[in-house]
Amino acid sequence: MAGELESCKSLSGLLNGLAQEAFHGHPGITEELLRSQLYPEVPPEEFRPFLAKMKGILKSIASADMDFNQLEAFLTAQTKKQGGITSDQAAVISKFWKSHKTKIRESLMNQSRWDSGLRGLSWRVDSKSQSRHSAQIHTPVAIMELEIGKSGQIVAVLALWFYSCGQMGCLRGSQETKP
Amino acid sequence: MEGSSEPLLDAKAEVANQLLDFQWKLGMAVSSDSCRSLKYPYVAVMLKVGDRSGQVKNKSFEMTIPQFQNFYRQFKEIAAIIETV
Repeated sequence: MAGELESCKSLSGLLNGLAQEAFHGHPGITEELLRSQLYPEVPPEEFRPFLAKMKGILKSIASADMDFNQLEAFLTAQTKKQGGITSDQAAVISKFWKSHKTKIRESLMNQSRWDSGLRGLSWRVDSKSQSRHSAQIHTPVAIMELEIGKSGQIVAVLALWFYSCGQMGCLRGSQETKP
Repeated sequence: MEGSSEPLLDAKAEVANQLLDFQWKLGMAVSSDSCRSLKYPYVAVMLKVGDRSGQVKNKSFEMTIPQFQNFYRQFKEIAAIIETV
């Protein structure tokens, strides 16, 4: 059974499955699914601690956002300890992290963004030659539409307008003074 | 600029909100429960907008640095165009 657990191709798939579940938020990737798909010959009671070990290692690497020197040192330490990993497994993990690091980091960053983000922005500038309230001529006004939302969902569309105060970089709308 | 009247817009347009104020802050997310070493900068923006009835609301959102750079570039473009119109 140890031979099965050392298989590189299966481990690569396992790490992928772990990453999908832990970082990219894909539901339904259970221990049983991973075992039956990748290590069908391995009994569940043997698979469980193996899975936990790999999950722990992957989470440690991702949590510390390890660079390649740190990764090297960390994995070497894992191969040396009791009940650790083999050097073949270390190589697979290293290769996995190097190719998935950016994507995993992106997902982790998204997990900690709780405020809405800017999903879209469009604008136009109008030139109004007449106004009901005053005799202003050629008052340019900027109209902007902001799409605000999280995780692909637009939560709010904000349409707003403003005049320029005449200075580059200063774009406060004119304050309405209430009587 | 004097004369803060609402622009007379196309009857079909629903542009109700006037941008009254724009506040920003540059933050750095250092660490989180899911990632000890997060280290990413972001810009948080707070817009103060007033609707037709005079009610003032705050709208806030976050942007990554590249997003903010694009956002800023758009505003600069608007400012340049407003000058020339």
